[in-house]
Amino acid sequence: MARVALEELTKRYAGGNLAVDRLNLDIADGEFVCLVGPSGCGKTTALRMIAGLEDITSGRVRIGEKVVNLLPPRDRDIALVFQSYALYPHMSVYDNMAFGLQLRKTPKPQIEKAVKEAARILDLERFLDRKPGQLSGGQRQRVALGRAIVREPAAFLMDEPLSNLDAKLRVQTRAEIARLHQRLEATMIYVTHDQVEAMTMADRIAVINEGLLQQVGTPKELYEQPHNRFVAGFIGSPSMNFVETASHRNGKAELQGEGVNVVLDDAQAARLRDRGLEAVVVGFRPEHLKVGEPGGPGLRVSARIDVVEFLGNDELIHAVSGGRDTVAIVEADARLAVGDTVSLWAEPRHVYLFDPQSEVSLGGA
Amino acid sequence: MSVAQAVAQPVAVSRRLAIRFRPSRVVLNVVLILVALFWMVPTISLLVISFRPEGLYGVSGWWTVFTEPSQLTLQNYQSLLGTGLGTGGILDSLITTALITVPATALVTVIASLAAYSLVFGKWRGRTAVFLVIVGLLVVPVQVALIPVAQLYHAFGNLTGFNPYGTLPGVVIFHVAFGLPFGIFLMRNFYTGIPKDLLEAGRIDGAGEWTLFRRVVLPLGVPAAASLAIFQFIWVWNDLLVGLVFLGGNAHHTLTIFLYSQTRTLAASYWVIATGAMISIIVPLAIFFAFQRYFVRGVLAGAVK
Amino acid sequence: MAVSALGRRLGLRRAVATPSPDLGTPAVGVGQMADVGRPPGGGWRSHLGSLAFLAPAAIWLLVIVAYPLIGTIRNSFYDNSSTQFVGLGNYKTIFSTADILVSFRNNVIWVVVFPFLVTFLGLVFAVLTERVRWATAFKTIIFMPIAFSATASALVWNSIMDVDPHVGMVNATLQTINDWFSPPGLYPVNTGAGQTLSELASTGLGAGANGTLVSKAPVSPGQSVQLGMLGISPATLQLVGAQKAVIPASASGAVTGLVWRDFSPTNPTARGRVFADEDGIAGLRVTLLSSSGNSVGSTTTDAHGDFTFSGVSPGAYRVQLDSSNFSSGFTGIYWLSGTQNIDPTSGLNQTAQALLSIPLVDLSMIIAYLWIWAGFAMVIIGAGLAALNREVLEAARIDGANEWQTFRRVTMPMLAPVLVVVFVTMVINVLKIFDIILNMAPSVSQANTLATSLYNLGFASSPPANGLASAIAVILFVLVVPVIYINLRRIR
Repeated sequence: MARVALEELTKRYAGGNLAVDRLNLDIADGEFVCLVGPSGCGKTTALRMIAGLEDITSGRVRIGEKVVNLLPPRDRDIALVFQSYALYPHMSVYDNMAFGLQLRKTPKPQIEKAVKEAARILDLERFLDRKPGQLSGGQRQRVALGRAIVREPAAFLMDEPLSNLDAKLRVQTRAEIARLHQRLEATMIYVTHDQVEAMTMADRIAVINEGLLQQVGTPKELYEQPHNRFVAGFIGSPSMNFVETASHRNGKAELQGEGVNVVLDDAQAARLRDRGLEAVVVGFRPEHLKVGEPGGPGLRVSARIDVVEFLGNDELIHAVSGGRDTVAIVEADARLAVGDTVSLWAEPRHVYLFDPQSEVSLGGA
Repeated sequence: MSVAQAVAQPVAVSRRLAIRFRPSRVVLNVVLILVALFWMVPTISLLVISFRPEGLYGVSGWWTVFTEPSQLTLQNYQSLLGTGLGTGGILDSLITTALITVPATALVTVIASLAAYSLVFGKWRGRTAVFLVIVGLLVVPVQVALIPVAQLYHAFGNLTGFNPYGTLPGVVIFHVAFGLPFGIFLMRNFYTGIPKDLLEAGRIDGAGEWTLFRRVVLPLGVPAAASLAIFQFIWVWNDLLVGLVFLGGNAHHTLTIFLYSQTRTLAASYWVIATGAMISIIVPLAIFFAFQRYFVRGVLAGAVK
Repeated sequence: MAVSALGRRLGLRRAVATPSPDLGTPAVGVGQMADVGRPPGGGWRSHLGSLAFLAPAAIWLLVIVAYPLIGTIRNSFYDNSSTQFVGLGNYKTIFSTADILVSFRNNVIWVVVFPFLVTFLGLVFAVLTERVRWATAFKTIIFMPIAFSATASALVWNSIMDVDPHVGMVNATLQTINDWFSPPGLYPVNTGAGQTLSELASTGLGAGANGTLVSKAPVSPGQSVQLGMLGISPATLQLVGAQKAVIPASASGAVTGLVWRDFSPTNPTARGRVFADEDGIAGLRVTLLSSSGNSVGSTTTDAHGDFTFSGVSPGAYRVQLDSSNFSSGFTGIYWLSGTQNIDPTSGLNQTAQALLSIPLVDLSMIIAYLWIWAGFAMVIIGAGLAALNREVLEAARIDGANEWQTFRRVTMPMLAPVLVVVFVTMVINVLKIFDIILNMAPSVSQANTLATSLYNLGFASSPPANGLASAIAVILFVLVVPVIYINLRRIR
């Protein structure tokens, strides 16, 4: 096991397309880090550069203390779990897992021990003689994991390994991977576009958009203190509501947007004044909205209920004011019906302010 | 490891990799170029010989044309084409070949498409079994059917007065029959890729089978039909055996028979062969270049699937 | 229910009005629409419709392919006019006729040699062109010969493999290489016309060791010797710049001599005397041999045919005309004649010998056929290569395999199905091989295969031997049946 460090890692393709832009990331030994972001953001490219499957335009990748830029994949001591599993179709499960060790001329008894152990961990013992074509999707995925485990690499790299599984299997396998991580205490770098996976599995998450790193932090940090509008909108499901507001010009520290009224507390007002901003983008999470109209600083929304989705304990409400849609999750209440006008509010600490131009967050909530 | 060592290391590796990389790529390209040149030599030799005067054959090699380009002449082509449309001449053979190839190709394409439609979209039992039988017929050699079909033709002639043996239609009929297994195989495989929902919607709207075939499946199947047609065309155009057998004593020859008969005359004048061969390959070559993609797809469909 | 967009495109008008969708009843009026693809009411009609489509193909195949197959099987058990039942007689004849057995042998050679070579070549090309930018152009060039008729291709290769080095490129190249290492002499022996070296010796000369001519009588210093030759063409002498023969004077301590053409137009039958109109043989390399046979010195005859060896110690010597003067150079290998074979070691009877030797013409034709079909193999294998899952190869890289290991242990096994397809297709192709043999080796009985024998017996001999030809056809078919089985399994 080892730490992995990315220093100013950059990938520029021949046509000029900048896929990864000066990525800096430090992954500690034994840490589970997720690279997350929308499709095409560069996360998979970054992972493949760590693996050695893509050339590095500039910057460095360190595994352990060694700079591995020019090493071929086989010398980097990493294992990669592909999205499509990439199992050898003509080899049995046993041979699939043993292949890497066979190439390194590991003695047979040792290979057998390693493969059988990995098969035991992953509950694959019954399938050792079968070919990949005879296995289900979930079983194949475990074989891909087994192939990686057997190598005992310095770092595990995983490229969206769950995206080919159905919803139920995905939840199950998520837990298995998390368990695997605890058990092996291995360094794992996990790429996904699904922020739920990232939030549930990772020690730390790196959010990437258009090749640029947006923020690195624990799930809690990203959730509670997003650095910019992108991270705020990406993390959390359903995603954060955003509204453009402007200062109310009535002397008070108040913002007015479409159907939304915000009374700022002192700290927030100070931050606005410091930056000399008259307009600002306000963000608030659906789960932080409550029904009611208390006084004092905070955010208020008055809107007409359009759709009510019953979730059991809670209800998900789409409400419209002006041309804007607000999403809220509140405790289930039979009194809320489509067509009613409802008043929702949120505490100041749940109100996020973003610079309208740079989209950077104006300080902690 | 000191900083200096750490920095020096990547550079050393990079130089090693670079040197190992380049020679193999250059060697590869050189080898491939040589192979390509070698491959073109036979065609080029034929081309050059057809443009050289007959007297030079056997005296000096065709490769001397590179040092003495003045020896090139059009007289061979003039002689051959100058015989005009007379029976047994090369233009007559060209027309004969076309008269056989075009109908054979058209018939195979249409009949195979119809059959494939039935095999894919029909609702009768046993479609798979019939398809397998047809595919099985793919490997029946043409030789197996030659004698009985000739006998059949004669018998048919005794019955109706028209004996297909020795006539162009007789050859066409045979070619169509042996082109059908491959044609049906190709079209059927393509048709399975057409969503059945499309026809269901059409049926609900009131379309009959013939309408569905003519206005939905056939237009969608044009790529496969094109591949089939081109493949068939070249196959029939270049055939020798079927023509030899079923044209029998017919004064009109196909191009391949024309060329073959040259080898059997005692004073084999190679200039006739070379020029005739060049003329015979112009049409398939033109089609090959114009429709290469379709031709390759036809080949792939036949073998890989 | 309105007509769907598809229906409108098909030109259908609206069907009878039906209940609204709210009630959930199906919007189909039974019996009010032309053809519905499901029973009841429309089922049997569409049944018939699509079956009718199959009819033309079915009838065609039955009449021209299926029925004749049975007809041929039947014919094989009848005599050559198809009227008298002979049971297995035809088959017995086939297996005891040397010519037909030779055809078998050739088919075996083709089947054993060709599919392997063509698949291998196709694989090599497909792999090599993977990394090259101009791969498409290369593939087009290699693939192009398929568009030619086998007839035209055969004729091209006929010319290339012609025995005359002035026509055939192969022999021309061999000649250039051969002549570089052992160039022909000024006076080559025309072995092609059956000439032998000893015919060149006339007066005072006899055949020596290793293709030389040696003076018959011994010669001593101070003597002059006259050596006469025949069979040298005046044209050659003129080319070399020879002039009239001059008898040299003798000199003490030296051996002098004349080599001349012992033919005088004015005295055509006189031998042994040097006439005024006889030519000296110039440029001939002569060596003086001691009595023990060792070389004492060499020189070349001048334009008059004279030579001198000076400073010769007393003794008996012989004059040798070196073999290099007479070496014929390269005359051409008979690639297509069928007379040159690769024979097994002796000790077998004639039939076995014939059956086990490999005629050079077979190999020549295989080369020509490779030229035609390597592109086919390359294209198919190339497509198979391109369809391989790239990520599996990357997984191999990560697992630690180098290029060769990846190729051997991952790429090749995954490519195996495609290779089998190509191989099997080529086996079928080669079993039926006909055009190329007919045109490259038209009267070479050594080169026949089953298909050409069939044609010769059934259509090129009079009267046509229907029974024998049909029996051969049946054998051909039987050989091909296992392939049907493989094909069917693949489709499933």
